[in-house]
Amino acid sequence: MAKSHSELSIILRGVAKDPLGLLGLIIVGMIVFSAIFAAWIVPYDPIGMNIPDRMQAPSLSHWLGTDSLGRDTLSRVIMGGQVALKVALPAVFGAMAIGLTLGMIAGYGPKWLDNFLMLFFDTVRSFPTVMFALAVVALIGPSLQTIVFVVMATSIPTYGRVARTQTLTLRNSEFILAERAMGASMTRILGVHMLPNIIGVLAVLAAMDIPTVIALEAGLSFLGLGVKPPTPSWGALLKDGYALIRQTPWLVVGGGLPIILATLGFTFLGESLRDVVDPKLRKNR
Amino acid sequence: MSDTLLEIDNLSVDYETARGDLKALRDISFDVKKGEIVGIVGESGCGKSTLISSILRLTAPNTRFRQGEVRFKGDDLLTMPERQMRNLRGSDISIIFQDPMQTHNPVLSIGRQMVDIQHRTKVSKSEKRSIAAKMLAAVGIPDPEARLKQYPHEFSGGMRQRIAIAMALMSEPDLLIADEPTTALDATLEVQIIERLQELQREFHCAILFISHHLGVIAELCDRVVVMYAGAVVESGDVREIFHDPKHPYTRRLIECDPGHIKERARVLPTIPGEVPDLANLPDGCIFRDRCEQATDRCAQVPPLEKLKEGHFAACWLNHPEESST
Repeated sequence: MAKSHSELSIILRGVAKDPLGLLGLIIVGMIVFSAIFAAWIVPYDPIGMNIPDRMQAPSLSHWLGTDSLGRDTLSRVIMGGQVALKVALPAVFGAMAIGLTLGMIAGYGPKWLDNFLMLFFDTVRSFPTVMFALAVVALIGPSLQTIVFVVMATSIPTYGRVARTQTLTLRNSEFILAERAMGASMTRILGVHMLPNIIGVLAVLAAMDIPTVIALEAGLSFLGLGVKPPTPSWGALLKDGYALIRQTPWLVVGGGLPIILATLGFTFLGESLRDVVDPKLRKNR
Repeated sequence: MSDTLLEIDNLSVDYETARGDLKALRDISFDVKKGEIVGIVGESGCGKSTLISSILRLTAPNTRFRQGEVRFKGDDLLTMPERQMRNLRGSDISIIFQDPMQTHNPVLSIGRQMVDIQHRTKVSKSEKRSIAAKMLAAVGIPDPEARLKQYPHEFSGGMRQRIAIAMALMSEPDLLIADEPTTALDATLEVQIIERLQELQREFHCAILFISHHLGVIAELCDRVVVMYAGAVVESGDVREIFHDPKHPYTRRLIECDPGHIKERARVLPTIPGEVPDLANLPDGCIFRDRCEQATDRCAQVPPLEKLKEGHFAACWLNHPEESST
C-alpha cells in the first residue's frame, strides 16, 4: 500500500513541477473542493427565489448579481459545478471501466471477438453525440442519469479502441511471453501484468475527456435537454443569461467562465499527467 | 526410461506461410536426462527457437506439428490439455529468455513480480516476499530486501538476467530452458552468469537445456551437445567427443569458425561460405550439401542420424564406408 502512495506522490510532484500542470491542478482542485462543499459555501439558496432582488448587478451582497427570479448567481455557479462533476465523473469513469474491459478482451481474445467488438465500437462512434443525446432525451426525458448514460455510451468506443491498441502491442512483448512461459493464466496476464501498463494512458485520456463532457452537459442544458430547470447548471445559466444578455450580462459570464476554466484546468492537468505517466518520458528525467 | 526427463521423438514442425509450408524442424530426436545439462548449438534460423516454443507449446498460430512427440516425464506435451500444460509451465519447466531488458514488466516492482509468480503456492504474501528475497540473495544480488521494492529499469542488464534466473528457479523446476541467456550480455558478465548457473544447477539438481551459439560456453557448461543445422539434428553426443572428434563437416566448420579457437591473428575471420537453405523449398539430399567441401554423389540422398559409438550420433555419409551406401 505504501508503494502506491509513493507512486501517487511521484506523479503529483511531477505535475506540480510543470507550471501549466500546477495551474491545472489548482483549478481542478478548486472546482472539486467547491463541488464537494457546495452545500456549506453557497452564500444563498441556489434555487430560492427572491423577486424583490431580481436582476441585480454584481454587488457586495451578490458578487455575481442575481437572475430574473432573484436567485444568487454565485450560488448557482457553485451548485452548477457540483452538477457538472456529478455528470462528468461517473460518465467518464464508467466509460473508462467498460471501455477498458471490452478493449482488453478485443485485443487479447480471438480474432472473431475482436472483429465483433470493433464493429460495435465503430457503430456507436458513427452516431453524432449530440444527435444521439437528443434522440435519447426525446425518448426517456431529460435528467442527470440520461446525460450520464449518453456520455458513457458514446465515449466507451474511444477508451475501448485505445485499450485494444495497447493490449495488441503488449501481447507480443517479451515480458508477456515470459509470463505465459511461467504458466500465468489469461486473467492473471490481463489483470496483473497488462492493466498497470494500460491504465496510465487511459487515465490521461479520461482527464482530457472530462472538460468535453462538462461542455456537452452544458450544451444539452443550454438546449433545455439537460438537467431539469430549478437545478442549477452552467449550461442553464448560459441559457437564462443569453435571453437577457443586454439587461443581465453577468449571468452569461457566470455560466461561461466556469466552463472555460474547467476546460482549461482539466486539459492542462491531463497534458501534464500524460508527460509524467508516460514511462518513456519518465525515464529521461 | 526412469532417468529420462525430456524425450523429443521424431519431431517435425512446419509454419504455414503464403509461400508454402516452412519446414522449421524435421525429425528432431534427442533426450535430456534428469540433472543433465544439454546444449543446443546452431546458427541463427536453424530452428532453436521453434524447438523451445514447441517444448513449452507457446507457438505462433501458424505452427503445425506434423509428426512426433515431446514427452516430459512420459507424457506427450503436444497432446496434453491446455490446462495441464499451463500447470507445467513455471512449475516443472521454467525458462530464461535471451534479452533481460525485455523480460520483466516495466511498471511492476521486482518484488511484486516475484510474489506474483508464486501464485501456485498457498502461503501468505509476506512469506512469498521472504522467499523472493532469499532467491535474490541466492543469485548474488546484494541487499535483496531493499532491492525488491525497485523497478526493472533500476537494475543493470546482468542483474536483470540474474533476477530472471531467480524467478525461473523459484519453483524448483525439473527442467530449465535457457534460451541464449548470455547473448545480450558482455563477456565478463557472461562468465559470471554461467558460473552462477552452474552453482545453482548443483544446488537445485535441475536439468538444463542450454541454447546458445557460443561454443565456448557450451563446452564449459554442458554434458552433452546437440548440433542443429537448418531445422535438423546433424550431430549429437558428449561434449568432449563432439569438440575433439567432430564427425559432421558442419560441426567441424562451426568449431573452426569459433573465434576462441583461432590461435593466430587473422585479418578476416573464417566463415562457412554459402547460406542456410530456404526452408520452404528444401533441396534434395543432405541439407548441408551446398556448403560442404567434402560433398560427394552420395550426398544426393539424405544421410540418417547414425549411432557411431556410445553417445555419439552424426548424420553424414562420410562416416560410412563407401560400399555400404548403395
